[in-house]
Amino acid sequence: MPIHEKNLIEKEDLLEKEKAVVDGVDVSGRWNTFIRERLLSDYHEDFVEEVKSLPGGRTVTNCWQCGTCTSGCCLHTDYGLREFNPRYFIYLAQIGNVDELKKYGDVIWRCISCNKCVERCPKGVKVEEVVHNIDEVLRRRGVTEDTPGSRWDRTYLDNIMATGVLDELGLTLKYVRAEKPEDFTRGFMARMAVKIIRNGNIRTGPIRRRTRGWKKMKKVAEDILERDGYASAK
Amino acid sequence: MASPKILIIGGGPAGLSAAQDITDAGGEAILVEQEGFLGGTPKRLHYSLLAPDLKPVEEVLDPLIDSVQQSGARCMTGAKVESVNSGRNGFTVTISGGGKKVEEKVDAVVVATGFAHWDPHKKYEYAYGVYPDVIDFKDFEKMLSDGNIVRPSNGQVPRRVAWLLCVGSRDRQVGKFYCCRLGCAVSIKQAMEVRRINPAIDTYVYYMDIRTYGFWEDKLYWKSMEEFGVKYIRGRIGSINRGEDGRLIAMAEDTILQRPSEVPLDMVVLATGMEASEGTRETAAMLGLELEEHGFVKPLESDSMPVSTAVPGVFVCGTATGPKAIPDSITEGSAAAIKALNYVRKRSIKVQARA
Ligand SMILES: Cc1cc2nc3c(=O)[nH]c(=O)nc-3n(C[C@H](O)[C@H](O)[C@H](O)COP(=O)(O)OP(=O)(O)OC[C@H]3O[C@@H](n4cnc5c(N)ncnc54)[C@H](O)[C@@H]3O)c2cc1C
Ligand code: SF4
Ligand code: SF4
Repeated sequence: MPIHEKNLIEKEDLLEKEKAVVDGVDVSGRWNTFIRERLLSDYHEDFVEEVKSLPGGRTVTNCWQCGTCTSGCCLHTDYGLREFNPRYFIYLAQIGNVDELKKYGDVIWRCISCNKCVERCPKGVKVEEVVHNIDEVLRRRGVTEDTPGSRWDRTYLDNIMATGVLDELGLTLKYVRAEKPEDFTRGFMARMAVKIIRNGNIRTGPIRRRTRGWKKMKKVAEDILERDGYASAK
Repeated sequence: MASPKILIIGGGPAGLSAAQDITDAGGEAILVEQEGFLGGTPKRLHYSLLAPDLKPVEEVLDPLIDSVQQSGARCMTGAKVESVNSGRNGFTVTISGGGKKVEEKVDAVVVATGFAHWDPHKKYEYAYGVYPDVIDFKDFEKMLSDGNIVRPSNGQVPRRVAWLLCVGSRDRQVGKFYCCRLGCAVSIKQAMEVRRINPAIDTYVYYMDIRTYGFWEDKLYWKSMEEFGVKYIRGRIGSINRGEDGRLIAMAEDTILQRPSEVPLDMVVLATGMEASEGTRETAAMLGLELEEHGFVKPLESDSMPVSTAVPGVFVCGTATGPKAIPDSITEGSAAAIKALNYVRKRSIKVQARA
């Protein structure tokens, strides 16, 4: 029998067996292809509640699935990463379909925070923050592991928590040393450093600046981070 | 010239509004209502809060009922119009009620006989009347008015309630091609009420598209998702089954996921459509009014003369001509009143000129 809407079948849902016997009947050969059930069998309301409870997550339920965000998303369009679909991630979060979200575990974190989606969303969804929260909740639940994205976030947080002022140079060096991204060769780094120092996009120098009274403020910031479950703050 | 005397059939929002304006303008109104009370369908079925401002029915309709009763209009409840004969000088009508029959001469007639809920038994796939936890939204309105949201099957508080829109609307299979105009708004309103009463109950609306036109968009639709966390599932439930644990299983396609969906639900509320009431059909037949293709009274011109009919001296308002909300029904009642008064005035000028 021909399979309709083949495009809806995902590779990992196709089972092909060398030899297959069903109820005593040998169905090897033409009939040995099976498709794993794709049924949606329940909603999990706690997921969206958790996304909502993190800072910036409140608007997750505003989304009505229009697709404006995705249609302008740099990752989805310019970089051709079609699997990166913030609209879809938000829907999966709304109905709590963790199994499906898991498939995108290595995609969701790739948002580059250009915030075009936030500027355009007709329902005022803070898409960028919401998508980050979805990523965060997946990790907190152990569904996904640490990613370069989450490690970046942590390095960033640690960096700014040290003095209250971001030290871009230190941040970049630390991250690049740890992650060793392929594209970040020495030559590339040097050229970039010259460029951004010249055009003033980077303001740190060898001397680390700090926020006045940071000790006291840091305490407040830490309490808030701890309340929201960002354990790495301390 | 004697003050114009106008018969109004039907004491719902539209008829009440017509009666009020006729008496306010110095006319004589006879309001005939078949039920023992005024206020129409919202009162008869005990609606709770009204869309879009979530005001109780009493707050919206009681002032209108009171002012009609105090205006000097003759309100005959528990009464029906038996026959209408039109003559050279208006109509002779026979009204029966309370075991008596009276004859009246009137100059014009306003029809405000309203709508009926479509009967969901006819959509057998949804098992209304078979599974007690499948109810329609007039049943749910009553439940909300009583302030007691429980599963009819076991008296327990539901964890998940879903609404299914367009039951008996927009459906070739049941011969209803039109939109009920209110199903979306009322379902959304009900879901918000549930969340307000008990936020532990999760609410889902199964839809094809959401038609909360005009200001109902942000007042109802947006608010429901943004402030009340009502969730929306795009797909029309095809049938409702019962799972082993007695919960309902909604067989649908989640068209955003592009997957079959068989999610357990504790209650399903069917957003049943509107059709012309039996009273509307009977009255139309009695007065010789034509029905339009959906079975409602056909106005003379649906675009430019919505409350006039092809029969001189007979006017129509409210849901007798098609689905509409209370404010529109009230507006049309006023429109029918002025049209009827003008008709009588113009005719009497003609009669005087002839004399
Ligand atoms: C579930 C539901 C919820 C709704 N909620 C809202 C809401 O929240 N907000 C809103 O704006 N609108 C709402 N509506 C719409 C609202 O009910 C109608 O707009 C309104 O009732 C129409 O008024 P009407 O006077 O035309 O008809 P009706 O209210 O139907 O009144 C007609 C009256 O005529 C009487 N009658 C009929 N035949 C005869 C006869 N032969 N002789 C004598 N009397 C007769 C009937 O008994 C009835 O009292 C809702 C509708 C539904 C289905
Ligand atoms: S633009 Fe906004 S409402 Fe539309 S899909 Fe994206 S997040 Fe949802
Ligand atoms: S108002 Fe909504 S529920 Fe009613 S028929 Fe129209 S789309 Fe369907």
